[in-house]
Amino acid sequence: MSAHAEAGHHDHDHHYERPFDQWPDDAHTGHASMGKLGMWIFLLSDAMTFAGFLLAYGILRGGADQWVGTVINEPQEFGINFTAGLTFLLICSSVSMVMAYAACVEGNRKRTVQWLLVTILGGVLFLCGQAQEYFGTFEFIFHHKGLIHDGLIFGESHRATTFYLITSFHGMHVFSGTLYLIIICYRTWKGKYDGGNYNHIEMCGLFWHFVDLIWILVFTFIYLIPA
Amino acid sequence: MSQDHDQAHITDTSRVHVDRKEYWFIFLMLFILTVLEVGVVFVEGISKGHIVAVLTIMALVKAALVGLFFMHLNHETKIVRWGVILPLMVPFFYAAVLIADAIVRLA
Repeated sequence: MSAHAEAGHHDHDHHYERPFDQWPDDAHTGHASMGKLGMWIFLLSDAMTFAGFLLAYGILRGGADQWVGTVINEPQEFGINFTAGLTFLLICSSVSMVMAYAACVEGNRKRTVQWLLVTILGGVLFLCGQAQEYFGTFEFIFHHKGLIHDGLIFGESHRATTFYLITSFHGMHVFSGTLYLIIICYRTWKGKYDGGNYNHIEMCGLFWHFVDLIWILVFTFIYLIPA
Repeated sequence: MSQDHDQAHITDTSRVHVDRKEYWFIFLMLFILTVLEVGVVFVEGISKGHIVAVLTIMALVKAALVGLFFMHLNHETKIVRWGVILPLMVPFFYAAVLIADAIVRLA
């Protein structure tokens, strides 16, 4: 019995809704599910919010006579090497996310959970890194007391305010993405996405890759562009 | 019911694109580009304008790699692909207009 026919049999017996990928292909959207299209629309609106922040940052920075050092004792730079490490971490977690997706498509629940756990670990470590960067939470490891201690205070300069606004907004996305991943991982472990039912994992992956994609831009425009 | 609904799909995955080699290749490209980005910042003797241009191009290439291969945009229909890419280009277009305006006013 083919997968389509079998699914139809399930529909009839148990009043299941038809699985998303067994609707006829749409002329415009192919076999993309409603959830996936909805996630794309949400991500586009989210991208516009980030774009607004980054453009405001660009306008303020481009129009400033002096960007760095307008406040006494403000740090001259943000610590590029440390943040490059965080960037690498997010790239790694993006790979583990697609590996989880691949494992789910192949119906391998155990591998899916393992890769999702690796992705979650990436998110948690990134958040720890951001806490270290702001507050020096892990000073005993990195021997740095954080940017706030160094004198980069929110509200005291355009540089500080835009830095905290954009990076913390991104951090909120990492936090919510990590929670999202934990829920999806738990549901995967419980067998909700067996049989190649990858739609929810793909949607979660879209959000997580978006977080990575935004960080790529934030890393370049906030951290790397020299004063 | 919703629990049953989640569990019982027998899904046709034959049309789904999964290519682990491609994923690892993209990861390698992203890693190399990140190293190059950090390296460019520390190279002396390059003007700020050139550094900004090179960094922006590398960031856009990295973002495109993530979008096309990790988010599978290259396997979507043309309408979905361009329906995502075109709105994302608007902020860059707006930034270009602002930069051009600033250059004209400062000239």
